[in-house]
Amino acid sequence: MENEKLGTAIVVTSGKGGVGKTTTTANIGTGLSILGYSVVIVDADIGLRNLDVVMGLENRIVYDIVDVVEKNCRLKQALIKDKRFERLYLLPAAQTKDKSAVKPEQMVELITQLKKDFDYIIIDSPAGIEQGFQYSIAGADIAIIVTTPEISAVRDADRVIGILEAKELYNPKLIVNRIRPEMVKRGDMMNIDDIVDILAIDLIGIVPDDEAIVISTNKGEPVVLDEKSKAGQAYRNISRRIIGEEIEFLNLEADEEGKLSKIIKLLFGK
Amino acid sequence: MKRDLVCFKGAAEGVYLDIKGKDFEAIKKELDDKMKNSYKFFEGAKFLGVRCDELTQKQLLEITLILKYKYDFNISKDEILDSLLNVKDNFKGEADCYSKCITDEGKTKFIYGTLRSGQTVEYDGNIVIIGDVNPGAFLKAKGNIIVLGTLRGVAQAGDGGDEKAVVAAYCLLPTQLRIGDIIVRSPDGDMQYKLPEIARIIDGKVLIEPYLPNK
Repeated sequence: MENEKLGTAIVVTSGKGGVGKTTTTANIGTGLSILGYSVVIVDADIGLRNLDVVMGLENRIVYDIVDVVEKNCRLKQALIKDKRFERLYLLPAAQTKDKSAVKPEQMVELITQLKKDFDYIIIDSPAGIEQGFQYSIAGADIAIIVTTPEISAVRDADRVIGILEAKELYNPKLIVNRIRPEMVKRGDMMNIDDIVDILAIDLIGIVPDDEAIVISTNKGEPVVLDEKSKAGQAYRNISRRIIGEEIEFLNLEADEEGKLSKIIKLLFGK
Repeated sequence: MKRDLVCFKGAAEGVYLDIKGKDFEAIKKELDDKMKNSYKFFEGAKFLGVRCDELTQKQLLEITLILKYKYDFNISKDEILDSLLNVKDNFKGEADCYSKCITDEGKTKFIYGTLRSGQTVEYDGNIVIIGDVNPGAFLKAKGNIIVLGTLRGVAQAGDGGDEKAVVAAYCLLPTQLRIGDIIVRSPDGDMQYKLPEIARIIDGKVLIEPYLPNK
């Protein structure tokens, strides 16, 4: 591309597995390209590749991230253009290698190269705090922590925030995924306030538990494209908060009772 | 013959200052007289600390400062406080007043910000956390532990057996609390007192109570 940009690299991480890192990466990446930015999403989960599946791009993979760092191909050859958006690309993970195939220095070099061509680089980190996590965060400017309203997920998120601080990646943003307002109301689920109180970082999104996610994942169509889905709306809002807009948090209880939920009140009360 | 109030004594590692009596002005004067005559003698010597029975901690500090700034003793800023405390280590069992100092005051480590799961702070003095201590974090102090936030992790105060140590927090909800050699855990089930509390050992048991009962 002609003039050099300097993009922002965002790593999506959580510590615990299965909280929605890949879904979040796919939806934020797509959400930012809806807003007109050039975006590349990078699957750093080598050996357990699935960002491509969630994006519906699996059948287009020829080269992957390991080919790029090992210089078996040029970066541009490995980048897969999205089927819906002109300026959205995917850099897939390798499936036949493992996490030892990439070193943090190589990742820094790769991200630096991508920053020249894209506004946003969204990195989908693997679960855990080992090798794979270490190289995923190596080139990042910002971290997004995904957690669910469960003590185990919050505990792991807390650990990860501590490690990020030690690696001088400060002020991570928090997404609370899979919240179920009716359960929170009954007192059977941690509320947003409890989570933010422990983790003490900025909240950038609340995503409700939504069947539409399962459907969209299976179809390879990010839910952010679904105008009717609440989770889709939540991801569109997160994307806009990332570019610096101030958006109110969703009223998740609107369907049930039409009055402000306790969570929302607590959030606004802050 | 008049007994010396101030006397420098040599040990294998260096010299220490032995002070008798509690007449502070007389002690300072005698120190000045002594130093005038033997100024050069102590050049380059390692200073171990001050040993005394009857001076207050403030007076001890003043003596140490006089030695450092007036007579150029080789004492770094950190060592000024340490020198007071180290006396106890160097003369074990001899100077009771220092063991009291360690519990009541002594050196302190300040931590700014939230201590998260997996992070550990160990210190052979007091620890003050200006922030929260989350579950999975671990604090270990020879002296007291004060948390200006919520304590949810594990805190070990009085490490080494000091039962006079305390743990205090704006919100005291530790996973486990250890003071001296006693280990207690929070009761099973939910409990949330949003009051500042202090934990200490009374009659061999850990007692937790609000330290601002009227609030």
